[in-house]
Amino acid sequence: MNAPREPPRSPAEPEPGSLLGVGMRTLLERELRRFLRIPGQTIFSPLITTSLYFVVFGLSVGTQVRAVDGVPYMRFIVPGLIALGVVSNALLNTSSSLFSMKIQGIIVDILVTPLSYGALLSAFLIASVVRALMVGILMWIVAGLFTGFGLAHPLYTLLSLTGVALTFAAMGLIVGVWADKFEQVNFVPAFVITPLTFLGGVFYSVHTLPHVLAAITWANPVFYLVDLVRWAMLGIHDAPVAADLGALLILGGVSVGVAWAMLRAGYKLRG
Amino acid sequence: MLPAVSFQKLTKRYRGLTALDGLDLQIEQGEIFALLGPNGAGKTTAISIVAGLLRATSGQAQILGRDVVADYRFTRRNLGLVPQEVNYDPFFNVEEAMRFQAGYFGVKLSAARVDELLDALGLQDKRRANTRQLSGGMKRRLLIAKALVHEPRVLFLDEPTAGVDVELRQQLWRYVRVLRDRGTTIVLTTHYLEEAEELADRVGVIHHGKLLTVAGKDALLREHATQTLTLTLATPLAEVPQPLRALGAKLTGGTALSINTAYGASFGPALRAVSEAGLAVSNVETRRMDLEDVFVSLVREGDAA
Repeated sequence: MNAPREPPRSPAEPEPGSLLGVGMRTLLERELRRFLRIPGQTIFSPLITTSLYFVVFGLSVGTQVRAVDGVPYMRFIVPGLIALGVVSNALLNTSSSLFSMKIQGIIVDILVTPLSYGALLSAFLIASVVRALMVGILMWIVAGLFTGFGLAHPLYTLLSLTGVALTFAAMGLIVGVWADKFEQVNFVPAFVITPLTFLGGVFYSVHTLPHVLAAITWANPVFYLVDLVRWAMLGIHDAPVAADLGALLILGGVSVGVAWAMLRAGYKLRG
Repeated sequence: MLPAVSFQKLTKRYRGLTALDGLDLQIEQGEIFALLGPNGAGKTTAISIVAGLLRATSGQAQILGRDVVADYRFTRRNLGLVPQEVNYDPFFNVEEAMRFQAGYFGVKLSAARVDELLDALGLQDKRRANTRQLSGGMKRRLLIAKALVHEPRVLFLDEPTAGVDVELRQQLWRYVRVLRDRGTTIVLTTHYLEEAEELADRVGVIHHGKLLTVAGKDALLREHATQTLTLTLATPLAEVPQPLRALGAKLTGGTALSINTAYGASFGPALRAVSEAGLAVSNVETRRMDLEDVFVSLVREGDAA
């Protein structure tokens, strides 16, 4: 055996405080720059889609519909549409980022690093929340041009939208880790999330629904999230605010918990 | 000194398939170690377990004396992996890809270090090129650059030169030696026996997830290889003369006389015996087994066992 010219170097220690360290911040930067490099797809396309909902449902149908709980229909649907935009963008960001990393094999670059599970989870979730809130705020600005910018509870609006974004970012992470095919990435938003959101009182108050539909709506967890955002933005709500908040905490806690457990167990990532 | 890498009864089973079957192996610090084995022998599985891409079914893997599961942040900080599959992140350019990779390890990449790696791997003029635009060979070199950004103490190269042209292969080999000389332990898996012969200080052969042998490259050849002297005789013989028979000479077709000796031994006694027997020789050929022959015979023995 040839003797090495230099002796083996002493081992390096991983950086302390992994959760907010250079590693986590780098992954967060990568995730943010990924979606900011394609703003047409990640920010403006969802903005246009949801703005169209607003224009079509608000301007055309809205003129035929009377005020809901004293709020003009155009204004009534804004929180639900913003919640819908936040939900779908939070979900899409993590699911598509993780899934494409898996398909392109670059997930390996992250799995071989000392990034802790908490750091991985935080970076993916924060990036998704940022994208979802950017879309939500831009939608609010567009809607505000038509219906005014007043908010009943500005701080709770931001907090509730952040909570909703976090919940669905975690669900997106679960989908991205679980999915083996593109079809599966689209399955959850198309067949589960969008129907639940549309039937979650975005366009109507549960009190206006016939008995069976109302019962179904009360059983829909997304209804409480939309209701919470509507309370924060407009000050009106169908369910008790405590119930809305409880639903968000349970749904968010379960989603984030499952996402963390999947990363920790290495499910589908570390065979 | 602690071993750089240590596998203890490492076992990995997938549904019905045993990829690693109680692998025991130690790789010392500062050496270039080649892990050889046919396809499916378990080489990539072993590397993937150390790097955290796979979980072992049982047994243990350690880097610098620390467990790769319990102490994963330490072991991964000290380990670099060049994966077999070429990957690239189409969103970013070469320099960004390197900077991000260093960041994941908690390391801020200095401009000097970027330059050093880009120069060493011939990627300097591709610094701002999107990784999507790189040729296959360049993408592979970028993988190596990314595996080195955090100055790992142990570098794993999984089939580093698969599909790489001869010139680039030579360039990579030179760089691997430079890294070893600077104190990095190198573990490489390869199909190319020439690569192991050229680079490795020690060689381990695995087959069916088990270690068949591990030795210094020269010792492996001394122990398992032979060399053959084949003489073409001017006049055919009916049988091998006695002094040559004692040396184990064999006659084929009356004119081809072949004598096997241990690897590196002198053919002097055989040649003297030929001369004493008064044989006229029209051609002389010698052949030494190389690592490839040794590898094939070891794997065959492994299959027979």
